[in-house]
Amino acid sequence: MKTLFVDSYYVALRELKKYFRQKTRMIMTLVQPFIWLVLMGNMMSGLTNNPFAAQMLGTGNYLSFMTPGIILMTILFSSIFSGTSIVWDRRIGYLDKLLAAPIKRGAIPFGKTIAAMVQGGIQSIIIIVVAILMGVRFATGLPGILVILIIAMLFSLILAGISLAIASKVKTIETLMAIINFFAMPLMFTSNALFPLKVMPKWLEAIAKVNPITYAVDPMRTLTVTGWSRTILPGIGITLIIDVIVLVWTEFVFKNAVSE
Amino acid sequence: MDKAIIVENLKKTYSNGTEAVKGINFSVDYGEIFGFLGPNGAGKSTTIKVIIGLLRPTAGKVYLDGFNIEENPYEARMSKGYASQETSVDDRLTAYENIYLQGRFFHLDAKTIEKRAKDVLEMFGLWERRNDLVDSFSGGMRKRLDIAGALIHEPKILFLDEPTLGLDIQTRHAIWNYITDLQKNLKMTIFLTTHYLEEADALCDRVAIIDHGEIKAMDKPGVLKSSIGGDIITLTFSNDKGKTDSFLPIIKEIDNVKSVNPLKNGIYQIVVSKNGDEVIPVIFSLAQQKNINITSVRLKRPTLDDVYLKYTGTTIREAESSREEIAKQRIMMRRMRR
Ligand SMILES: Nc1ncnc2c1ncn2[C@@H]1O[C@H](COP(=O)(O)OP(=O)(O)O)[C@@H](O)[C@H]1O
Ligand SMILES: [Mg+2]
Repeated sequence: MKTLFVDSYYVALRELKKYFRQKTRMIMTLVQPFIWLVLMGNMMSGLTNNPFAAQMLGTGNYLSFMTPGIILMTILFSSIFSGTSIVWDRRIGYLDKLLAAPIKRGAIPFGKTIAAMVQGGIQSIIIIVVAILMGVRFATGLPGILVILIIAMLFSLILAGISLAIASKVKTIETLMAIINFFAMPLMFTSNALFPLKVMPKWLEAIAKVNPITYAVDPMRTLTVTGWSRTILPGIGITLIIDVIVLVWTEFVFKNAVSE
Repeated sequence: MDKAIIVENLKKTYSNGTEAVKGINFSVDYGEIFGFLGPNGAGKSTTIKVIIGLLRPTAGKVYLDGFNIEENPYEARMSKGYASQETSVDDRLTAYENIYLQGRFFHLDAKTIEKRAKDVLEMFGLWERRNDLVDSFSGGMRKRLDIAGALIHEPKILFLDEPTLGLDIQTRHAIWNYITDLQKNLKMTIFLTTHYLEEADALCDRVAIIDHGEIKAMDKPGVLKSSIGGDIITLTFSNDKGKTDSFLPIIKEIDNVKSVNPLKNGIYQIVVSKNGDEVIPVIFSLAQQKNINITSVRLKRPTLDDVYLKYTGTTIREAESSREEIAKQRIMMRRMRR
């Protein structure tokens, strides 16, 4: 067990070293949430002037409502690409190099998942800082922000895990991209990340209720807008359960895919 | 068990039905450079991958340094280093980071890695470039880095899959030197695959010729070559015929000389069972003693290509191009069907 974590750490370290070296990618993760917050904030400020809408959102500040959604959206669009590293490693033979070493096989997808979670955490921090600079006040303060970060990282585990599992089965990056693109956008817009469940048509609400984003965003939004509350527990619990299922599934699919 | 590698009745059939390795047997001594020579698709990479535990054998047994790869996977893994055909170094890491992580994947502690990373990077002439991104490295440097990394845990047996594939002649010779140094200085056992005849000839103590997943012949390159006839020395004499003819019996007495055949105009062909290069100076010094004038000499040695031809019925280049043709045709067919 200890070996699994140590091995995973070095698999993750490799990904993170490369991540921090990519200046453009780093800048993009900074700029993107900024643009989202400014754009959406401006576009929607008209909406929150309407008291009925404000009540729907649970806050007069649409940015506060949006921030958790933007965190998850940013994570979604980065974690879901975790799998590309497996396809790439397979292509350049690095995967064989890892498998030929005496590391635990499970450490390969697990390490890459951890790397995605750390990246997700960093992106979340950037978004939170930008949000604070733009006037968002987190109702639960620093402790609440920490919990938000944890939920965000648990969410990135789900996406990274699914992506890695699919990636261990496909041969080319193009195939992986096609599958990812097929899921990513619909996943985002069938959740309550950008709009509250209450304003959704019934059919969309039904889809949103089985969308994992909804369960992650719910407690994050409560912590941002409302304050400490027991209602955050179901969301966190369901996210955790999905985490475990995804992890077990990913490990299974990966081990299966590399044993010819 | 006093063999570095033992392979018994090894078979590998991929899940799509391709019989890549069809029951091969061989063993490799400690300290030996052993080569698999064969065209693309012969089953060389598959054999390596099964031996080092990347693929499961369909049948047969493999022992690495005495450990069965299935019963003692950890020990077997630790006893070998592997540099794949693809040169699997990470472009976006520095040379040092590549080596460092490799060390960690072999569960070495930071101190040991620090020391050995320096050793192996210096050994392969990359220490000065250790902090550069591999992105900026040439093909030869990448290959050297990959091999250096494979040595970080001081394996007893090193597996090199096509170590000079796609490199230019000079770089190939440089890599050959590194490989022979490993054998000489570190007493390393090396298993390599190649489809370059010169490479097998220059590097290997023993060679197995593999084609369509079967070993067709296996021995020292010299023995393989002499098995198809031997070296041919062609001499031209400028003396009158009588004097030359008196010299011929003397040549026949020299070790390894099998026959002397007159061609025409004082040109004679001497068939030597082996080591033609060592016979020539002997002929010359005898000729000097007897006042015989030799005006030209030529040595033709059988190449591994001749050997390959004998055992497989085609030259290695024909085999490769015909296989490429088949692959191309297959792709064409698939396109047509769509
Ligand atoms: N993963 C695989 N799945 C199915 N067939 C494979 C796979 N890898 C290689 N082969 C086939 O096995 C045969 C031997 O391949 P390989 O061992 O790579 O040959 P070599 O290394 O000598 O060029 C070839 O016919 C090749 O197409
Ligand atoms: Mg090969």
